[in-house]
Amino acid sequence: MPSLFVLTPFLLLVVVNLPFKFLRKQIALWPAVGGMLVAQVVFSTFYPLNIGRGIADPFEQFFMFGLSLDSLSSIMLLIIGIVAFVSVLVASSMISEERQVFHFLNLILISVIGMNTTVLISDIFSLYVFVEITALAVFVLIAMEKGKFAIEGTFKYLILSAVASVFMLTAIAFFLMAVGSTSFAAIKDAFASNSSDAFLLKLGTGLFLCGLLIKCGVVPFHGWVPDAYSAAPASVSVLLAGVVTKVSGVYVLLRLFGTVFILNAALQNTLLLVGIISICFAAFASLTQTDFKRMLAYSSISQVGYIVLALGAATPLAFVGAVFHFFNHAIFKSLLFVNAASLEKRLGTTDMDKIGGMGSKMKVTSATSLIGLLSTAGIPPLSGFWSKLIIIIALFSAGRPVYAVIALLASALTLAYFLSLERKVFFGKVVASPAAETKASFGITFSEVLLAAITVAAGLGFAFILNTWLLPLKEIVH
Amino acid sequence: MEKQLILFLIVMLPVAGAFFLPVVGRFSEAVRNRLAFLLVAASFVLSLTLLPSVLNNQVITISQNLPLGFNFILTADALAVFMAMVSSFISAIIIVYSFTYISHYENRGEYYLMVVLFLGAMMGLVFSGSLILLYVFWEITGITSWRLIGFFREKQHVLRADKAFLMTVFGALLMLIGFIRLYVETGSFDLQVIKEAVKIHPLSGLTVALIMAGILSKSATLPLHTWLPDAGVAPSPVTALLHAAVLVKIGVYVFARLFVVTMPLDIPWMNVIAIIAAASALVSAGAALIDTDLKRIIAYSTISQIGFIFLGFTVSNEIGVAGSLLYILMHGLAKAGLFLCAGIIEQNTKTKDITKLGGLMYTMPVTALSFLFCSFSVMGIPPFGGFFAKYMVIAGTLQAGHLAIAFVFLFGAVLTILYLFRVFNMVFMGDVGSSSAKEGSPSMVFCVALFAVLSLLGGILISYPNNMIAIVIKQMITGSIPT
Repeated sequence: MPSLFVLTPFLLLVVVNLPFKFLRKQIALWPAVGGMLVAQVVFSTFYPLNIGRGIADPFEQFFMFGLSLDSLSSIMLLIIGIVAFVSVLVASSMISEERQVFHFLNLILISVIGMNTTVLISDIFSLYVFVEITALAVFVLIAMEKGKFAIEGTFKYLILSAVASVFMLTAIAFFLMAVGSTSFAAIKDAFASNSSDAFLLKLGTGLFLCGLLIKCGVVPFHGWVPDAYSAAPASVSVLLAGVVTKVSGVYVLLRLFGTVFILNAALQNTLLLVGIISICFAAFASLTQTDFKRMLAYSSISQVGYIVLALGAATPLAFVGAVFHFFNHAIFKSLLFVNAASLEKRLGTTDMDKIGGMGSKMKVTSATSLIGLLSTAGIPPLSGFWSKLIIIIALFSAGRPVYAVIALLASALTLAYFLSLERKVFFGKVVASPAAETKASFGITFSEVLLAAITVAAGLGFAFILNTWLLPLKEIVH
Repeated sequence: MEKQLILFLIVMLPVAGAFFLPVVGRFSEAVRNRLAFLLVAASFVLSLTLLPSVLNNQVITISQNLPLGFNFILTADALAVFMAMVSSFISAIIIVYSFTYISHYENRGEYYLMVVLFLGAMMGLVFSGSLILLYVFWEITGITSWRLIGFFREKQHVLRADKAFLMTVFGALLMLIGFIRLYVETGSFDLQVIKEAVKIHPLSGLTVALIMAGILSKSATLPLHTWLPDAGVAPSPVTALLHAAVLVKIGVYVFARLFVVTMPLDIPWMNVIAIIAAASALVSAGAALIDTDLKRIIAYSTISQIGFIFLGFTVSNEIGVAGSLLYILMHGLAKAGLFLCAGIIEQNTKTKDITKLGGLMYTMPVTALSFLFCSFSVMGIPPFGGFFAKYMVIAGTLQAGHLAIAFVFLFGAVLTILYLFRVFNMVFMGDVGSSSAKEGSPSMVFCVALFAVLSLLGGILISYPNNMIAIVIKQMITGSIPT
């Protein structure tokens, strides 16, 4: 089964590029890509419910690298499916030019192939290759509108990604020297057996971490995040903030540092420190932002900090919390970026000083943004509360009460900057709005409602999500 | 009907029903208003049906185990049912008052959604049998009061709403740290399990202090009280609901639930809290004496009276606790009445500044009389309900031997009489101002008159609430002292 998640988008990519004119018509393209992503959501939802397991994979031999589908991968596939689908929906109401649609969907397909393979793969070198494939597609996506800021944002992301690549490749070389193989299983054994090459392993782990932290965009490697997120076209920023940086940075971090490498005390402390600094620094930085999307970008850095922090606690419960927060964050951050897209489409700007009182004019956007931001701030009963709670309980149980307390109180900061956002944009008197006023389109409204519904459902039905997807994760953590 | 189902409905009817109100309002405003009232009234009536069994010392519990010990537990004992009845009854009257008060403002759908959701969350909080569920409902009340305080959308109002939300959330987060410490120590959020566990391992002082921070911020007690007077910019029914009758009682209720029933505090802690309450009562009474904004004065008065309620719980003898419970009821009735009177005055004269008001006695006699009655109850003048409550609290304090604290609170009571008479004098007596203020609409006047009459009847027929409270106390105290 796992190979289907790679082959289907690949085949679709080949088909849409066949030299037939009708294949390039919008009317065929949107449903094809959208439908493929819906199928991905459906299949990855069913996997943990034990449906479709045990069916022999006929394409197994096709791949040189091992693909394996475990519970962590299935959650990731689910998130990729949902967010990419939403991104396509938003794009369908923002992009209308035929040629651009074609380019956009091709790039989306490539990035989905890259991400799907990244989360399925069990070999560190192939992992690196697919992370790069994803990144390449996304560089072009960000720069697609060719504006000054778009180029600048892409450039920053590109350069820092290149630095990250150097770190990661060097680390892989060390692993190859020390272990003789790049598969997860072999590296895991090498860590467990405490071999003579411990120094190389340590060096490799450290270097890989540096590369990943750049990819995750946590403090102090966060410089590219606000520029890239805010410069990207609306639909791309949903994809970028919702899954791309999460999969190519945070997922890899979770997979390697949660299930493959064995963390020593120094590494744990590093992760805890990076996590807590990201949480606090980015929260303070958010307070001063005046652009909707930049504020969301800083908030994203802060929330990734929670995941890194949880990983530093290095307990199975913390890992569960980290993955839960990953899921929640992908959903509500995408939701908030869709809200930004909605504002941008309606008013032509996301500068919060120029807008106000939109609550009465854009009811759906206003209500769903409220859900998104309260969830981000960890206000119950929304999803973000439960994942933060689990992380904080795990930190307490792991004997790190100081980190737990700081992380918890940072929620008040999160709430503070989101209240200022809400006050400026929605909750207030109407400010004379710019001329460009168009009705929100179906695609955007539907995405908002869908993501908000998932946020609420994940909050109320947290027990179901924990039992079905997350608690089984404890088994794959050592 | 099965008792568990009733308990479930008391909480879930308003919580879930609230979300239908804006939808219904699109078709018919009148139907929505009635539905809002029905949802709240249903909570009251259903609580009433639980009364006989809880008074027979039965405890009704719904329990659903969830992963990681985040269990869904609702427990109805006498204390919870008493609190639920008081809150839902006052809320139902406030909703009737809202019908005309709110009818000419925008965002009415959101208003009813938030008010009913607030009441539902209050019900959930009252019946919560686990700390995590309590926290969830606690924060929902925070969200709804944030939206309600900023209801008029003025810049200043929204800022103050944000202030109130941030202060209470900050307190709640500190409280959550306390809860998590309890969870890590005892392995559960379940109040019953914690109750057994703390008998063996006494509570650490830090945990108590953290939880108290949350309680004080929600009940607007010194030093976390400043959001309450500022929140007076909300529509008057909301201030009545939030600042007088229900929201500020959350902290007091949780204090009783956690530190009187579940894990009784040591004497030194109780003394510290009594001193905080005393300071809070005096400072805010002083503030009420010099302020000139009608609603701010009443809000300061609330802070001051909350001090009395805390005091009664801290002396942990029967008469003191009984006084506090009685005062939760009496203060809720009287203070809601005062705020609703202020709402009528504000709406008809377009000002809240008491120096610009005067002579309203002649133009709005019913409101004036109601205001006077409710004031009498808050002042503690016999035979109004407030008198008995205050008397019992102070008697309990004396019984516990805290002469100095009792004296401070007596002084606080005197200040209460002073500032309420000052308000009454400036607003209702004297020359008729230039304003041609009329009496409020019939339904609004009916509501304030009802609160006034109930404040009086509560005193005259004191034996009825007292008998019930006696049973509540028996359950609280015998439950809390290991035999």
